[in-house]
Amino acid sequence: MATDETLMNGGMAEWRNAVLLRSFRHSSFRHLLLPLFLSVQAPGPAGPWRAVLDLAGGPLRFALTVEQKGGTWQGKLCNGTQCQALSAVRVAGDSVVFDIATYAATIAAVARGDSLVGEYHNVGRRGPRTIPFRAARGRWPVEKGFGGLTGRWDAQFLTDFDASPRVIELRNDRAGLEGTIISNTGDYGLFWGHAQADSFSISHFDGSYVYMLTGRLKADTLRGVFHAGLRTQTRFIAVRSNGAPHLKSPSEITTADTAPFRFSFPDLEGRQITEADPRLRGKVVVIDVFGTWCPTCHDAAPALVQLYKDYHARGLEIVGLAYEVSGDSATDNHQVRLYRDTYHIPFTLLRAGTNDTEAAAATLPQLTNFTAFPTTIFLDRTGRVRRIHAGFYGPALPEQHAKLVKEMRAEVESLLRER
Amino acid sequence: MRNYWRLSRLTSHFLPLTLLIFGVRSPLTAQDGLVAERSAFALWLANAPDSPLAALAQQAIGTGLTLGPEDADVPLKNSTRMTVRAEGSSVMLNHQGIKTPLPRDRLTAIGPYQLRPAGPSGRSVLTVFGPEHRTLIPSYYPADSHFVMTGSLTKPASRVTHRILMPDGVETEAIEAGVFTIQLESGPANLKVYRIADEDTGESELVIYFQDLTNGKGSYPAGRFVTLTPRDEITYLLDFNRSRNPFCAYSTAYACPAPWPGNRLSVEIKAGEKYGN
Repeated sequence: MATDETLMNGGMAEWRNAVLLRSFRHSSFRHLLLPLFLSVQAPGPAGPWRAVLDLAGGPLRFALTVEQKGGTWQGKLCNGTQCQALSAVRVAGDSVVFDIATYAATIAAVARGDSLVGEYHNVGRRGPRTIPFRAARGRWPVEKGFGGLTGRWDAQFLTDFDASPRVIELRNDRAGLEGTIISNTGDYGLFWGHAQADSFSISHFDGSYVYMLTGRLKADTLRGVFHAGLRTQTRFIAVRSNGAPHLKSPSEITTADTAPFRFSFPDLEGRQITEADPRLRGKVVVIDVFGTWCPTCHDAAPALVQLYKDYHARGLEIVGLAYEVSGDSATDNHQVRLYRDTYHIPFTLLRAGTNDTEAAAATLPQLTNFTAFPTTIFLDRTGRVRRIHAGFYGPALPEQHAKLVKEMRAEVESLLRER
Repeated sequence: MRNYWRLSRLTSHFLPLTLLIFGVRSPLTAQDGLVAERSAFALWLANAPDSPLAALAQQAIGTGLTLGPEDADVPLKNSTRMTVRAEGSSVMLNHQGIKTPLPRDRLTAIGPYQLRPAGPSGRSVLTVFGPEHRTLIPSYYPADSHFVMTGSLTKPASRVTHRILMPDGVETEAIEAGVFTIQLESGPANLKVYRIADEDTGESELVIYFQDLTNGKGSYPAGRFVTLTPRDEITYLLDFNRSRNPFCAYSTAYACPAPWPGNRLSVEIKAGEKYGN
């Protein structure tokens, strides 16, 4: 991996394009002069960076892009073609801090020659977690996988004493090798990476989740390691899928009793809404159990909006039950309103509770084995549960996404036909 | 923030030394990361709302806890009476006649105080944090590469789980991961290792709670925690420079984990976190 090695060749020079700054490093006035020089001597940290988190099991690649707009630094973090805006880029002297506010995480680094060296950290219950970070100027090369690697693989993840099923999908995209991992409760988001001959490495780093999958194909078997965070490593073994289902069907995980489905939660204006609401009487109702903190729920929102637009006139209602982070009504309402406005959601959203899975399950006592956000519940015109889909296949899985949307439409159409 | 950066910059001096010792680049043994980790931890201790230096109390929720007045289970200055009790798998707070759920593993602000229930249903504990932080800057033995060692893990024959206390006094279910053997001057020594998994993130840690001859003579009397880092399929790295005190070393509010039987080393591990001056 020659590209990773070049990252280590740090010299003593500071930002290449801000050489003048060096003489000001020890001046007490440098903080006053800095913005002036940076604006004249741009780019400083501006431009594309090949970034790496050094996990115990090897380097996790991602990309950072930094630019200066109207005197303000800004940037984005990308896994292949999927990018997210950084909430702030703070530059002071030879140090730079990238803030990922959604997850209260930061990447802090200092310039060493044409490289950045530092660490990523976010805060857990027992203190900060840090992972070494480094970056070099430029873009990652596009290194696609050969045909023997791409496709659908039935995997077993092997922990100390257990094996649990996963599906691994690998495909080529314009940025290189792409893919995802699917478990019984949903996918791990979009992974991006590279392949060399029979080996590959793909990863997903969004500021909170630190995931990497590395492997090698030998004969017909894919073997490798799933890395989570700095130190977790889980071995896996996989064979090419023969088309038969390898995972539990998402509609067989969570079940409900046979009584009409009951709920009572406040809407964003504080009015208590129940299943007996006149708007819901005699209608086919889809309940979307979601949270604004949940990336897969964001994937599901546009599909639900489309479903509502297409079938509302024929008798479909959708109710979103939000399980939020803070538990504070003002904060949570604000988050849910932002979500509603982002996706132009025309249906009712209720504030149902906090996103702790156990506590959420307690608010929906008619469900058994509630495990996933989002969970989609289909009620017939008598209010009884007819189908529960745990999780959602996002656009990271184009085929499953299309299939699921089709199934949801078929379910709604069939329920609408019942009188 | 400035101090933080100055510490980071110091780290470049340690890097060549590490390269010399290990011959190959090994980011996790680089003292680079060690200094950054320690400064981030010191900042967290001094500032985080849930820093152990802000902890006022940690008590089992049991059949219910009262907070507030002087005669309460947890007296809090200038606070009206509130109660915290478990209802099924949820923890509920009753304050000024309003009942709200207290999410597990998460901070809920009540006036100047922060409450956090954690631990398994039925045996949850409530940790209460106040607005002020005591001053304590953790101190460490000088970084010493002799205390970085590799070894292999001998797994148990079958899956065994135990309930153990984590450094923050919260009970968790841990899987016996095996026995890690290290070579000391006095001969081989075995350390019991547990795997602690976080279901939300899929991450897990291989944790060792150990005692050594420095306990009570420079290091914390009850012992210290350290984690194993995988190197490849069979070998792991143990860096005693990263040993940390349990939270009871920072505040008497916390329950202190009992030493793990058999994890007592008959040597001085003069590496990692110290205790006292």
